Amino acid sequence: MRTAGTYLLLVLGAVVTLAPFLLSVQTALKSPQQFASEPVLTPPAPPTLENFAELFGDRYDFVSPTVVTAQVVAVILLGQLVFSVFAAYAFARLRFPGRDALFWLYVATLMVPQIVTIIPLYAVFADLGIRNTFWALVLPYVFGHPYGIFLLREYFKGIPGDLLDAAKLDGAGTPRILWHVVVPVSRPILATLAIITVVTHWNNFLWPLVITSGRQWQVLTVATSALQSQYNSNWTIVMAATTIAILPLTILFLAFQRHVVRSITITGFR
Amino acid sequence: MAGRRQGARRDTRTAYLLLGPSLFGISAFLVLPILVVAWLALQRWDLIGPRTFVGLDNVVAVAADGRFARSLLITAVFVAIVIPAQTVLGLVAALLLNRGLRGSAAFRVLYVLPWICAPLVLGVVWRWVLAPTDGALNALIGRRVEWLADPVLALPSVAAVTVWTHVGYVALFFSAGLRAIPDTVHEAAMLDGAGAGQRFWRITLPLLRPTTFFVLVTQIIATFQVFDSVYALTPDGGPQGVTDVVAGRIYYEAFEQRAVGQAAVMALVLFVLLVVVTLVQQRWFSRRTTYDLST
Repeated sequence: MRTAGTYLLLVLGAVVTLAPFLLSVQTALKSPQQFASEPVLTPPAPPTLENFAELFGDRYDFVSPTVVTAQVVAVILLGQLVFSVFAAYAFARLRFPGRDALFWLYVATLMVPQIVTIIPLYAVFADLGIRNTFWALVLPYVFGHPYGIFLLREYFKGIPGDLLDAAKLDGAGTPRILWHVVVPVSRPILATLAIITVVTHWNNFLWPLVITSGRQWQVLTVATSALQSQYNSNWTIVMAATTIAILPLTILFLAFQRHVVRSITITGFR
Repeated sequence: MAGRRQGARRDTRTAYLLLGPSLFGISAFLVLPILVVAWLALQRWDLIGPRTFVGLDNVVAVAADGRFARSLLITAVFVAIVIPAQTVLGLVAALLLNRGLRGSAAFRVLYVLPWICAPLVLGVVWRWVLAPTDGALNALIGRRVEWLADPVLALPSVAAVTVWTHVGYVALFFSAGLRAIPDTVHEAAMLDGAGAGQRFWRITLPLLRPTTFFVLVTQIIATFQVFDSVYALTPDGGPQGVTDVVAGRIYYEAFEQRAVGQAAVMALVLFVLLVVVTLVQQRWFSRRTTYDLST
């Protein structure tokens, strides 16, 4: 009885959680004619991909924002992984003057809200003449984030010293130790950091909104927002756009959910 | 001895080489902006023209402009609606998830799903769900309710979407917290004849205090900065400006009104406010919590 009640509530929660996703996908699969003429909740009959075809066609050109977003995320991901490994290794395994003060500075920057940095960064980027460029989108994030460095540092501290000493005795320099010892034993935490980074930057909105203008460097979130304000009642097209913006992350999430769930409980990321 | 000293020197050089990129990134894009925003607060600038020094004029203007004070109040109300709702619902979900039923792990994953999606995109989806004539919710309940256009309903509606997004995330933390409580504590209480209610209020809740505190503080700080979803659901501050939250106010002031100096003042106020909240929480944290990170 108690079990049945628990399941009922859990399923109810799942329905409330999933309903908006399912409704948006089913609307994206309807023809505009069907959407206009039939009740909102009727299933698409027959399901059609015409909204997606139109979305990626000449008029809306969602190809460009999808490609731009993927490129931005890829470059940021590479930079964050490499430079976070560098910094985290220095903090975790090397002795140098100023280490604790520097680490404190890194952690303290976690207090800075995005909305506060956006205005000065806009001013600096405008002065440098790199507003509305690819580099404007990636530069603020590509050098590593204190959160990732903090996360990796904790993990690197746990690597057995013997392992690193053995590599040093074999004459390996820091680059080789990083690549051949640290990276291989740190795969789970690196996967976690990679997912955090992809999710954060695939979803980023405010900075791209501010620093880009026009179509050339528009990312998916900004394109979706623009599409909605421009074609307010064209919901079948708008829902096709939200599906495209959500789907890749959902797949990634379902594939790596163990890592994601673990990373959330470790870091409370975002 | 000499060898060790030389080794230490080599360590220092290597460390600074390794730290170089992130040190540059963090100084240039997180530390320097605080100085630049303080400098911009003393300028008049419209995003394109020249900047002119105006001293404390912007501070005076922001103080005189009731909209900033109102946006602080709106944000406080928003936080006051969102935080209790998502904390209680998250705890309830965690209690259900931790009854050891088959499939709990799948439900846990499912509940977190909204949380990994872009708040902006979810806002767009919900804007359609809540649309008055062709939206899904009104079709479902068979009534025409102006969820986002009614000045009374707009802020609670936006808050409800925020709660929906975060419940699974909060549940995840409570779930981990619950698992850290040893079964023996509950068994002992049961032997002493404590009922389910008694055990919840006298044992579970007190032992969850560190988790609760962590969830509350991090969520309050995050909720105070809400922008994307509010922007998607109710652009331009909503009906009669009732959803004009602080981050939105700063954005509009800088990038639509082009009053960059005043926006910079507002950003500084928000920054100081959040630093104070963070420092207070760290005081608390270091004193009274040991948070178990194992899952």
